[in-house]
Amino acid sequence: MTDKLRMPAEEQYGAELAALAAGDTGKRPAGWALSPRAVVTYLMGGRAADGTPVSAKYVGDQRLIETAVSTLATDRALLLLGVPGTAKSWVSEHLAAAIAGDSTLVIQCTAGTDENQVRYGWNYAQLLAHGPRREALVPTPMLRAMEAGKLCRFEELTRMGSDVQDTLITVLSEKMLPIPELNTAVYAARGFNIIATANNRDKGVNELSSALKRRFNVVVLPLPDSAAEEIAIVTKRVGEMATSLDLPVPKNVADEVARVIAIFRELRSGSTEDGKVALKVPTGGLSTAEAIAVMVGGISQATFFNDGALTPAMLGSNIIGAVIKDPVQDRVVLGEYLETVLKKRRGFEGYYASLTDLI
Amino acid sequence: MTAAVSLFGIRHHGPGSARRLVEALDALAPATVLIEGPVDASDLLPLLADPAMVPPVALLTYAEDNPAAASFFPFAEWSPEYRAVLWAVRHGAALRFIDLPAGDRLADGDAAAESEVADAEAMDAVGRDPIGALAAAAGYADGESWWSDVIEQNPAPGPVFAAVADAMTALRSGERAISGREAAREAHMRLEIARAAKESAGPVAVVCGAWHVPALAEKRSLAADREILRGRPKVKVRATWAPWTSPRLASGSGYGAGVAAPGWCAHLWASGDADDRDTVWLTRIARLLRDRGHFVSTASVIEAQRLGVALAALRGRPAAGFEELRDATIACLCFGERLVWEDIAAELLIGAAVGAIPDSTPLAPLLEDLQRQQRATRLKPEALERELTLDLRSEAGLARSTLLHRLLALDVPWGRLADAGRSRGTFRENWQLCWQPEFAVRLVENLVHGATIADAAAARVIAAIEEEADLGRLAEWVRTAMLADLQPAAERGIDRLETRAALTSDCGSLLKTLPPMADIVRYGEARAGTAGHLAALMPRIVVQAALALPYAARNLDAAAADDLRGAILAAENAIQLAELAAETGDSWRRALHQLLADAQTAPVITGLAARLLYEADQLAADAAAELLGRMLSPGTPIADAAGFFDGFFAGSAARLIHDAPLRRAVDDWLLTLDDDAFTASLPLFRRVFSGLDRAERRRLFDAVFEKAAGAAAGYRLLGGAAALWPAHFARVTAILDGGAP
Repeated sequence: MTDKLRMPAEEQYGAELAALAAGDTGKRPAGWALSPRAVVTYLMGGRAADGTPVSAKYVGDQRLIETAVSTLATDRALLLLGVPGTAKSWVSEHLAAAIAGDSTLVIQCTAGTDENQVRYGWNYAQLLAHGPRREALVPTPMLRAMEAGKLCRFEELTRMGSDVQDTLITVLSEKMLPIPELNTAVYAARGFNIIATANNRDKGVNELSSALKRRFNVVVLPLPDSAAEEIAIVTKRVGEMATSLDLPVPKNVADEVARVIAIFRELRSGSTEDGKVALKVPTGGLSTAEAIAVMVGGISQATFFNDGALTPAMLGSNIIGAVIKDPVQDRVVLGEYLETVLKKRRGFEGYYASLTDLI
Repeated sequence: MTAAVSLFGIRHHGPGSARRLVEALDALAPATVLIEGPVDASDLLPLLADPAMVPPVALLTYAEDNPAAASFFPFAEWSPEYRAVLWAVRHGAALRFIDLPAGDRLADGDAAAESEVADAEAMDAVGRDPIGALAAAAGYADGESWWSDVIEQNPAPGPVFAAVADAMTALRSGERAISGREAAREAHMRLEIARAAKESAGPVAVVCGAWHVPALAEKRSLAADREILRGRPKVKVRATWAPWTSPRLASGSGYGAGVAAPGWCAHLWASGDADDRDTVWLTRIARLLRDRGHFVSTASVIEAQRLGVALAALRGRPAAGFEELRDATIACLCFGERLVWEDIAAELLIGAAVGAIPDSTPLAPLLEDLQRQQRATRLKPEALERELTLDLRSEAGLARSTLLHRLLALDVPWGRLADAGRSRGTFRENWQLCWQPEFAVRLVENLVHGATIADAAAARVIAAIEEEADLGRLAEWVRTAMLADLQPAAERGIDRLETRAALTSDCGSLLKTLPPMADIVRYGEARAGTAGHLAALMPRIVVQAALALPYAARNLDAAAADDLRGAILAAENAIQLAELAAETGDSWRRALHQLLADAQTAPVITGLAARLLYEADQLAADAAAELLGRMLSPGTPIADAAGFFDGFFAGSAARLIHDAPLRRAVDDWLLTLDDDAFTASLPLFRRVFSGLDRAERRRLFDAVFEKAAGAAAGYRLLGGAAALWPAHFARVTAILDGGAP
């Protein structure tokens, strides 16, 4: 157990990566730590050549991951699209960890991100003392990735201004970054590539220019198709997160996950799972990631304030927090759902009572 | 001395195995080619090589006395069987089918179907899908891809057919002995092969489904095989070729042995082993996407190709196949959106090719069915036009009308309804009959849909109904189906109408469903068909349309208002015609009242609503005059007033002649117009009054001037008119009876 709250993927799953690398006989593209097929195994789970079990990092369609890995193998940049909470950043981190052995070269894009944070900045003390020279340059994660031949990750690419986004065009098509101040350029080493994630639901983001979009292969990560798949994802992640937070996992966690997911899926899709009752949809996305947060919050509350017993009351306030994003509208939506659906459903009495209390 | 027999296990409709088969035939140069197919249709095989025969076509076999019991064996351009036939005809080899006679399958439609189900249940998963089992063994999720990689897309020619035979032997060794029809088929094929081997001058090539190879290679005593075949059912069968379509080659269409993507197979066949196969395919995709308005650059196509190759390498496949190219297309050309792909998939993968057959093809069952029905209804096909009046109350009349309507549904306009409009009486139809030779060809084209006129017409109408998105036309199709007495099609249409009407909120399209529905509801009495379901649906649509009407009439431009006016008029007629329950009519009237009350309603519509209510006595005469006065008063903008006037009087200007208060209101309004406004509205007046003929116009003038001048300028009844009339009448009758000189 380290002091780090959360370890990067290549450390947390170091043993799996080492085992895969040891038994990996496939051809590796230049600069790759693993062969493409081993990367897919690392993400989808399976066994390494020596029998070491490899846990599944992504639960879903293997084809999507294959497309993503092949994209990076053809030195095209990869854009992962999806609604919030569809494991875009998670997949991007693990892809970087498996391919480059380093998932820490990240640029978090915001409306305030400027070119200096994407290309390079200047150390002004150096600049004033010695004039423009290489030592005065402050490399960004992207510049370091280019020099080292590693993967650079852009989180939430569309939140960055369009003008800043477009500085990537040269980097992506010519694989080099000119530094006009020094009359030189940084050429990307083999193995360099970019993985960007973007959210295709939020409004008010900066749509990619078509010149930039064309330089990406796009993989859309969908919300889980079936309830069973989603329950599996949540149960697995809740277990992992609780362990890393030193929380004991209550025995009944699987049952409660199934119930919370049932509530989430019905509210998200706008109809009951049997399709018989149409429901109003709350303003929030109610993603799988939020379901995980609800469960972990509930477990934490149960551990510290309820002697470890995970009851609907422990989860109730977390569910309210996830569903009610708009204090007026969403309250009506949830109220209707409670009265028309949950009230009569067996096994959900606890949820009905605690949610009705809280609302 | 028996000839050497070579068995070629193929995959039905597999372009790769077709190519390998042609190579193998070239190498073997057989003197006899035997093909898995009904033995009694062998005579038709050489026709396949006719230059006028364009695949996809299907071998159609049907019971002579019951064409509804029919079965189809489709052949595509890339079907190995088709290629084998072409090879044999070109090289002068003997050519025969060797499977059980078609009569065996058709002997008793129901019984055969049942036993097939039983057969399928008896076989376990391996027996049903041998390729799938092999693919699973090779670690493939999907049987198609496995066959594609190992057989179809294997660029190195090798002993492919030997490998297939080995694999099938291994698969079948674990199986129980098969029974029923399957066993009989294989016994029959063995006997035929043995016979051919004895007769043939050179090597014998057998082309059959891969699954059968081990059984056909097996040595069995002829006597045992004959024993299996004893007592099989027989029925007299006829066979012919029918044009086929590529959508019906797809397994999605319900054709069990179909392929997932005929478009892809056609592409594989057309491009052969060429190096640029993937590029051609991706370019086609790019072109389709561009046609649909997506921006696709050539650079993106190059990237898609590279990604496809990388994916194939990642998946350990020899070349980029269908799935790799699809995934690459989605990632590079569709920006990750699956929906965009699905948008082009139907056109790309299924295609719309239609086959053609030569004129020398034997008579088709549809033509025979027509001849039979012509005899039954005593209608002779004549090229000269003649009239036919049918009384639908008599059975004979109804049968004739049904036949003619069904032919119309098949796009064979032997008869045209002389009064296709609305003036038709409920039990009388007037037809113009005229038979054209090309109708026979059209009938044969319809073979795709079914083997009897009733089946084909129903299938064709159902297909049209499934595709129709417009409510009004959907209702027309339902009427067509009812007139032609096509129960399944009518029921399907009413179902669709119900769902679509429930989902739509577009008032215009709801209104457009009403006229055809009213026709059907009225027709329900004369026809045996069930109009009851529709009679329940129509009031619902009326109410729905009535609820939507006030909103639909707001903020319309001239063209839209005109459209809606037509729809409302037609709907009003339909509602009166159908004699619906009082409360339905009331809700319709209420909607018209709302139109009147709502200031946002387009003026033309307000005018129309006012007139309809006035005519229905829902608006008192003085109230109407008052409304007219208000709408035409100087406070209303001229354009609005003109619109209202147009709506009220268009098509019913004659009302002005008899209705003095109305006339006065209009007169007053006209007098308030200044010169410019009057000139501006002149075209409108012309349009309104052009509906009146000369005499009516005269009477209108008279009525107007009578009031203005107070003079007796109109027609007046003479004092002694009643006494004079009998003499007058006798005189006129005498002239008429005398006739023209």
